[in-house]
Amino acid sequence: MHDRVIVLVEDNANDEELTLRAFRKSNILNRVVVVRDGAEALDYFFRRGAYAARPASEVIQVVLLDLKLPKVDGLDVLRSLRADERTRLIPIVILTSSAEDQDLVRGYGLGANSYVRKPVDFNQFVDAVRQLGLYWLVINQAAPV
Amino acid sequence: MADDGTSTPLVKRLRDGLRLVSTVTQAFAETTSDYPRLLEVIACDIAEAIPDTCVVNLVSGDTITLVAIHEAVPEGAPRLRYVLDQAYPLRMAGLSAEVLARGPLFMPRIDFDALRARMSPEALDQLRRIDTTGLLVVPLATRGELLGVLWIIRRGNHQPLLDELDLEIVQDLANHAALAILNARLFQRLEHSERLRAAEERAVQASSLLDAIVENIPDMVFVKDAATLSFVRFNRAGEQLLGLSRDQLLGKTDFDLFPASEAAFFTTKDRETLSATRMVDIPEEPIQTPRGTRWLHTKKVPLLDATGRAAYLLGISHDITERKLAIAELSAAKSAAEDANRELESFSYSVAHDLRTPLRAIDGFSQALTEDYGEQLDSEGRRYLSRVRQSAQRMAGLIDDLLTLSRVTRSELRRTRVDLSALAHTVIATLQRLEPERRVEIVIAPGLVVDADPQLTTIALDNLLGNAWKFTSKRSNARIELGQAERNGVPAFFVRDNGAGFDMAYRDKLFGVFQRLHPESEFPGTGIGLATVARITQRHRGRIWAEGRPGAGATFYFTLMEYPCMIA
Repeated sequence: MHDRVIVLVEDNANDEELTLRAFRKSNILNRVVVVRDGAEALDYFFRRGAYAARPASEVIQVVLLDLKLPKVDGLDVLRSLRADERTRLIPIVILTSSAEDQDLVRGYGLGANSYVRKPVDFNQFVDAVRQLGLYWLVINQAAPV
Repeated sequence: MADDGTSTPLVKRLRDGLRLVSTVTQAFAETTSDYPRLLEVIACDIAEAIPDTCVVNLVSGDTITLVAIHEAVPEGAPRLRYVLDQAYPLRMAGLSAEVLARGPLFMPRIDFDALRARMSPEALDQLRRIDTTGLLVVPLATRGELLGVLWIIRRGNHQPLLDELDLEIVQDLANHAALAILNARLFQRLEHSERLRAAEERAVQASSLLDAIVENIPDMVFVKDAATLSFVRFNRAGEQLLGLSRDQLLGKTDFDLFPASEAAFFTTKDRETLSATRMVDIPEEPIQTPRGTRWLHTKKVPLLDATGRAAYLLGISHDITERKLAIAELSAAKSAAEDANRELESFSYSVAHDLRTPLRAIDGFSQALTEDYGEQLDSEGRRYLSRVRQSAQRMAGLIDDLLTLSRVTRSELRRTRVDLSALAHTVIATLQRLEPERRVEIVIAPGLVVDADPQLTTIALDNLLGNAWKFTSKRSNARIELGQAERNGVPAFFVRDNGAGFDMAYRDKLFGVFQRLHPESEFPGTGIGLATVARITQRHRGRIWAEGRPGAGATFYFTLMEYPCMIA
C-alpha cells in the first residue's frame, strides 16, 4: 500500500501550523511531511542524511514549496528537483508571500506546476489550500512513478 | 587765322601740318594710360592725316613686332597681309633694321631695284601688290632710346608724291609718338609695380590672418613634414597643452618628445594618414604632458602638393580629458543609481514577503482563537478579535498598494495600442461580480483607444473605476461614465460618477500618498490608489486632474501622452 504524502517545505513555524490547520479544516487527511529548509528538503527528496532510510512506499503526491528558505533557496530546490530523473515529474506548487513578477517568471521557468500566493486573510488561505488539495490530490492525474 | 583764299598751297599745307601735329599730339597725350589703344591711335591718326598707310613696328631687345597698322585707302584697294603682335628677329627685318641703325629712309618715288637687296622678297612683293608709289620710314626714338620704326606708305597714282614737308611732319609726329609710347610704358610699368605691391600687401595680410586664425584656434594644431615626420608648425594651444615652447618643438619628432610607445602610436597614425591620403580620425588617444596624461580626439589630414603627393601632415587635437572624466562620473552615478534601484527592489521584495508573513500569523491565529475558543469569550471579546483580523488585513492591503505604487514607478514603460473601452468593461464586470446586488448605470463610450502601457493602464482604470464604484455605493441611482472630452484645449479621458464627490478646496490632496478625503468607516481604502494613478499618468508624460462637489459626484480627467502629441 502506498503512503501518499504531501511535502510542505516551509521555514516559518506560524505558516507551518496555519497550513496544517488549513489542511485539517479542508478534510485533507494525507500525511504531511514538513521540511524546514532547502538543504533538508533536498536530503528528503534524494534520500540522503537523516532521510537515507525513507521507505519506498512513500509516494509524493504534491510539494508545497516556499521560495525564501534558509540554506538553499526555494528556486534552487526546484531547479535540483527538475534536473533529477527521480524527481522531475513530481507536482510542485510554489506557495509563497511574494507576488513579484520575477519570482513568478523564474518559478514557472524552472518548471513549477503552479504558483499560489499566500493570502493574509486566513479564511482565504483555507480556501486556497482546500482548492489546492482538491486539485492535486483528487482531480489531477499524476505521472506514474 | 582764316583761310582767305590768297594763301599758297604750301602755306595751307604748313598750316594744316601744324594743326595736325597739335591735334595728334593731344590725342597721344590723352591715351598715355592705355598703351594698346595708344598704338592704334598713332597708326590711325598719322595714316588719316598724311593721308597714307601707316605701320607701327616696335623693338624689344633683338626682335621687332608689328603692333599697329592703318590703311587710309579707298574701298576695293588691295590690302596688306600681316600678323599683328608677332615678334620677328630684328636681323630679318631688313629695312626697319637699317632705319634703326642709320636714320630715316625717304624715297618719294619707290625704287624697287634699290630696295631688292635691303628687304625680303616677300615684303617687296607686298609693296608692289598694294601699288606703293613712295616710302617714308622713320625711327621712333626719344631720349636716346630706339623704340621702333614708323612706316608711311604712299599708294595709288592719284596721290601727290611725298615731299620734304611730309618728311618733317612725319618725323615730328614720330617724335611725339615715341615720347607718348615711352610715357605709356613708364606708366604701365608704374601701374604694374603698383599692382604687384598691392597684391603683395594683400598676400601678407591674408597670410597674417591665416597665422592669427591658426594661432588662436583653441585646439592644438600642428604640421609635420611628410618625409621626416618632424614638426614644422605648432600653434599656441599646442604649446600650452605640451608645456613646451615652439623652439623646443619645431624640428623634433614624436620620439624626441613622448614615451616610445606613445610616439610609435602617433607615428603609425601619421603614416596611415599619409599613405591613404585621406583624413584619419582618432577618437581617443592619451598623451603625456606636464599636467599628467591628457586625452585627445585627433584628426590627421594629409596636405597634398601640386602633384597630389602628401607633402605635409596637418593635425588637429581637441582635449577631451574633461569630457571623458564627466562621462566616467556620469556612468559611475548611473551605476550607483542602478545599485540603489536594485536595493529598492530587494527592499520591496522583503516587504512583500517578510511583512506579510507575521500578518498572516496574526490573522490566522485570531481566526483559530475565534474558532477553537470562541465560546469561552463573550461577544465583546469576539469583537476585539475581529478588529485584530480587520487591522491585519487592512495592513496587508496597505502593503500591497505600496508595492503596486513602487512597481508602477520602477517598471519599464512599454507602449502599445490599448482598448480603454474594452478594458473598462472588464474592470466593471469584476466589480459587479464582487457585489452582484449593486445596480449601477454604466456608460462606456465605445472605441476609446490609447497608445499606453497596458499593465499600467489597467491599474489606473482599476483604481479610477473602483473609486467611482466605491463612492457611489450609497446612491440608489448610481451612474458611472467613461468617455473622452476636451478640457483646457486638451483631449482627455474622464471617469465620472454621481457619488459622494469632494470639496474642490482639497483637490490638491487627492493625489497624495495616504491622503483621504473621507473617513475610513464611510468609504474603506488605503489612500494610495489615486497617488498610483497620478504616478501612472506621470510615467506616460500625461496629466490627471479632478472636478467635483460634495454630494454631487466627481470627474477625473487624465491623459496618457504629452500635450503636443495630443493636438498633433
